[in-house]
Amino acid sequence: MSNLGGTRLATFGLLAAALVGLWQSMRLESWGFDGPGAGFFPQLVAGVCVVLALIVLVSPGRAGSTEDGDTEDQRGTAETRRTFAIYAISLVVLALGAAFAGFVVTAVVVAVIIVRFAERRSWAAAIGYGVACAAVGLVCFGWLLRVDLPEGPIERAFYSLVR
Amino acid sequence: MEALLQGFAVTLSLDNLFYCFVGVLLGTVVGILPGLGPLTTIAILLPITFKMDVTSAIIMLSGIYYGVAYGGTVTSVLMRIPGEASSVVTCLDGYEMARKGRAGAALGIAGIGSFFAGTVGVIGISFLSPPLAELVIKFGPAEYAMLMLAGLTMVTYMSAGSLPRALLMAAFGLLLGTIGSDPMNMTPRLTFGILALGDGVNLVPLAIGLFGLSEVLFMARQTAEEMKILPAPTGVLGFLPSREEARRSVAPVLRGTVLGFFVGLLPGGGAVLASFLSYAMERKLSKRPEEFGKGAVEGVAGPESANNAGTAGAFVPLLCMGIPANAITALLLGAFIIHGVTPGPTILERQPQVFWGVVASMYIGNVMLLILNLPMIGLFVKILQIPRAYLTPMILIVCLIGVYSSSGNPADVLIAVVFGFVGYGLRRHGFDLGIVILAYVLGPIFERSVRQSLAISDGDPSIFLHSYLSTGFAIVAVALLIAGLWPKRKARASA
Repeated sequence: MSNLGGTRLATFGLLAAALVGLWQSMRLESWGFDGPGAGFFPQLVAGVCVVLALIVLVSPGRAGSTEDGDTEDQRGTAETRRTFAIYAISLVVLALGAAFAGFVVTAVVVAVIIVRFAERRSWAAAIGYGVACAAVGLVCFGWLLRVDLPEGPIERAFYSLVR
Repeated sequence: MEALLQGFAVTLSLDNLFYCFVGVLLGTVVGILPGLGPLTTIAILLPITFKMDVTSAIIMLSGIYYGVAYGGTVTSVLMRIPGEASSVVTCLDGYEMARKGRAGAALGIAGIGSFFAGTVGVIGISFLSPPLAELVIKFGPAEYAMLMLAGLTMVTYMSAGSLPRALLMAAFGLLLGTIGSDPMNMTPRLTFGILALGDGVNLVPLAIGLFGLSEVLFMARQTAEEMKILPAPTGVLGFLPSREEARRSVAPVLRGTVLGFFVGLLPGGGAVLASFLSYAMERKLSKRPEEFGKGAVEGVAGPESANNAGTAGAFVPLLCMGIPANAITALLLGAFIIHGVTPGPTILERQPQVFWGVVASMYIGNVMLLILNLPMIGLFVKILQIPRAYLTPMILIVCLIGVYSSSGNPADVLIAVVFGFVGYGLRRHGFDLGIVILAYVLGPIFERSVRQSLAISDGDPSIFLHSYLSTGFAIVAVALLIAGLWPKRKARASA
């Protein structure tokens, strides 16, 4: 996919988001007895967003400065694509783990996915590093600093011992 | 001057020096560590201060507030994870400097610039507080609305990309800011019936997703050669910028300081707006605008000075008028009241020792921060020597802790991940993500001001042109939009 095509695709995503926002905000009151209602500003902003997205779709213009290095071949090698896919999976695991598995399990699994599968280091290094990260996080943040961490059976057992 | 000297006498007592040190140390640590924001830290420590002397308590709590501004820079430069909203802009060039082996210099310039700006900001508080407080009173909703519009337009105009793209990012950020309960009547908006969106999209998952997680995806796409980060000098003086970097930083620090202090006076996102405006201004004035986003030292020096001067500026409306500029100063206002001090025009007459003691402690606190931070830079930059295989899981775990602890809600982690992918896609195709954050932060203030103005005028939009201030800001906004679409710029943009 060319860079221009990618830009249009990204803009199309923004247009879709703006249209959904506009559709949702149209269901809100735009003006009430005491002045502008809850829907006034979202309708205004979503409308502007739609117009601007259409302008950028037609004429993408110059890219900003935050796309450093994007002039290269966007597809990359098969190895790069594989690594990227594994990293993307690790992000999904991070989100699911925070909701269902607790901090320790999530940290270990994410570390193993990246260190072992994306970066091809040994199982020992992957598991060891994951356990070390999880332990440091749990002890320093969860216990000593009393920061809220996603809780699962391991965290509950640990807190019942130390708190 | 005599009153300020008395303030120093109060602060230089052993007790107050100790509390000042504890405050700035905690602030720095909180700024670096994910999870514990200044708001949480001050809230946790507030009950501990109940039995303390009022001046000592306020000195310690204020130290945390301005110490965080220093600490937040470290993660922005080294990991591209913004510690707070006003550090977002530092990610752009600070992180690129780190990749070029100039992490120490970036942190050193940020530290020295912040020290200078913080100190000048405190001098500003000392001598300009009463007249500035009167000026801030003149800002009604219409003036605020037009100021926010002018600020957003200025940042989009000075963006490196085309104006429509930058404006689209601003509109997208404003739209994100409308998700959740209506700030005026609590009607749920754009939540799609999802309970987790009831409070809106929080800043922490948004910023960490757009910057921290998207960076991890970028790292994944790079080959070992592209990933190569030049080693930074880690010696005791490794943080010192080169002569050329120092020369290029002087003017941005001075400009950022003045801009930051005055914009910081404004309630709402003063320090955030100041850092973005400073970045935009430096890019506009630079002889090397093409270096911005790729490790321009001016892109670190200006915004870092601006956000620290803005932090100092935020104390003016708090101390002189009892008006908090943001959630943290609102908590500090609560601390004042709990301790029997009522900030406002009468504080200078009734409790001058508290006012001047706090002001003097800021001078001393800034010196402490400099002494505390500069020697540690060599230690911080060692993070960059960690190979990608081990650095990226660490970044993800830091992001997880930061996002989850900000609300205790696992849905926020999911939101951060979604914005990680969104940020990756947008950044890859040249959309400026910083503008999204700025618009998101300013959006609620902008909306409230617009709606209040229209409610006052019964829907007549000419209210935005009723005062010289609001008319001036409106003219600036329109002029920048026209200038942005001018053929010369368009020609330059297409070059």
